[in-house]
Amino acid sequence: MKKIIFYFIIASLVFGETKKWDAHSAYLLPQKRWEMGLFQPFRYGYSESIEYSVHPLWFFVMPNLSIKKSQSDFAGFTSASQYKMVYATPFLNMIAKEGIMGIIAPEFRMPPMLGLSASWLMSKNMAGVNLTLNGGLDLGVTFGDLDTRSTIDIPLVYHRLGVYYNKWGIHTGLDVQKNISEKIGVLVDFDLRLLPGLAEVQIDPDASKLMGEYSLEHKFLLIWNKSENFRVLTGYKFVMGEYPYGSDMRLLPYIPMAETWVPIIELQWARKKR
Amino acid sequence: MGKLLSSLGVLLILGCDPFVTEFEDSSDAVMYGANSKSDAAYDSGDVKVVTWNIRFGIAQFPFFGDSCGDDVILDDDTIEQNMAAIADSLNAMDADIVLLQEVDVSSKRTGYMDQVQYLLDNTNLNYGCYASMWKADFIPSDGIGRIDAGNAILSKYELTDAERIQLRLRTDQDGLTQYFYLRRNIVKAKIPALTQGSQDFYAVDIHATAFATDDTKQQHIDKYVETLAEIHDGGDLFVTGGDLNSVPPGSSTDFCESDMCDGDDYHTDQAEEYHKEGSYFENFEGEPDILLPLYAAYDSAIDTASYNLPEHFTHAPSTSLLIDDTTATMYDRKLDYLFTNGTWDSSSGRTHQAAWELSDHLPVSAVLNLGGE
Repeated sequence: MKKIIFYFIIASLVFGETKKWDAHSAYLLPQKRWEMGLFQPFRYGYSESIEYSVHPLWFFVMPNLSIKKSQSDFAGFTSASQYKMVYATPFLNMIAKEGIMGIIAPEFRMPPMLGLSASWLMSKNMAGVNLTLNGGLDLGVTFGDLDTRSTIDIPLVYHRLGVYYNKWGIHTGLDVQKNISEKIGVLVDFDLRLLPGLAEVQIDPDASKLMGEYSLEHKFLLIWNKSENFRVLTGYKFVMGEYPYGSDMRLLPYIPMAETWVPIIELQWARKKR
Repeated sequence: MGKLLSSLGVLLILGCDPFVTEFEDSSDAVMYGANSKSDAAYDSGDVKVVTWNIRFGIAQFPFFGDSCGDDVILDDDTIEQNMAAIADSLNAMDADIVLLQEVDVSSKRTGYMDQVQYLLDNTNLNYGCYASMWKADFIPSDGIGRIDAGNAILSKYELTDAERIQLRLRTDQDGLTQYFYLRRNIVKAKIPALTQGSQDFYAVDIHATAFATDDTKQQHIDKYVETLAEIHDGGDLFVTGGDLNSVPPGSSTDFCESDMCDGDDYHTDQAEEYHKEGSYFENFEGEPDILLPLYAAYDSAIDTASYNLPEHFTHAPSTSLLIDDTTATMYDRKLDYLFTNGTWDSSSGRTHQAAWELSDHLPVSAVLNLGGE
């Protein structure tokens, strides 16, 4: 069961940034509408100005909650703010173990750690293209000693958890979505994560360790909207960045034993609560 | 559309490096050079050779994989101190050629230190070549994470034609374990400065399997003997050595009880495994005499009259000291060897047991008679 949860969570990291029905835009879900996907959080339009989302399967090992709130239009852009909270400690301690699926060395115990994130989203339709800009601040609050050797040095994961080691980080991104027919659309996005000054918390100021500061993620998805309540997405995600061992890049999803990239396959559903 | 496909093609090429690196039967070794080379032109005379399994610079750290320990990642400061001590030892030995096993070049467990480069930059050795035996973006077990570890040849003189020769994988593992497991090898390099007339000069380094319970060790030694015979039959000269993970003929073959950790159970009907992997040297017929062909064909740094004497033991698990406070087992078997198809100086073979704190293996050195002196 632990392995299933772990695979799901890793897969969610790959698929989790998938642009859904404007999930990453400044637009909120209509009131009482919910949306979810195989690897997506459950989102719910609580009111015309508030939207909640949560990763249901993550929740039991990594409690999390996100709130998106509409804001006044800014420079002709629809605007919203988004606040996220995640408590990663239970899951990280679950994978700090001996043997298979021991992702973190067993000698490390992760202290209580709270991840907080605040973002500003701005969206606009320009000549049939939906454009969204986002940017924000991430905080990693730890209540105890966090050993810097306990990092997980793999794409997608390292920079997301890096905020706990660096105490703070910055993220920004651009999403571009366009419908090329009634049923078919494309999404291209770019996300940049920065961990300024990470070198200061590294044990060894060796040059190779001064890096680990940025990650650039890019995604391309082809979207088939079967109906208002169901759609299928496929494409790829590309990640490049600096890690404790140097720079690296990878096309995802990647299947290790087959040594091949495979396309993202994501199914998403939506309904409106009566 | 063409540009889009081209861009995707570039991403596919750049972003799809293998997760676990597998190797051809023969491939190029990775070449190294010291950042600042010492002046060491060969001007005839003897050549000192050392072999040493340096246990990736973790010294007596209770690592989970090869001792009774539970830990995986050593702190950077201690690794730096250990590597400095290893470099000091090599400088004190003043070897011309050093054959290393278990060297990390980019591993999470040792802070991603490139230990080959470190040793070149902190010893009087100038050139190196390296062959991975374990290279993966991420090992999802025991917190190992990213790993790149292997064998290296370091030399005062330039190395050329460096080749990584793949050894057979273990066959006593399931497919998933084998995929993430070690790919042991022989690394061979030519040293043009030591050419003797028409005889090219080679250094050959090996780390044979430790834990296989099938005939993998026999396969490794056979491939090693074959590699050396090719050089010898070609009329060339070699020095060779490494961690053969085999005891000399006539040695004890069962170290299960002395290597036993708390809670282990061996040599009983209830035991999950009757013998401890890596501590028993009679897994297949003929294993106790597996090194006889090497002794029969070539000159050994530690001769047959001495190789089972305690002063030439080269190994004990690093946590043997911790089994009980009154028993200090620093070394209790010989696993590390030097051979040549030339001639060692008869009194030069040494096992450097004073270095026992720096690894779970001890260096062995000898001086090769060269240049007719």
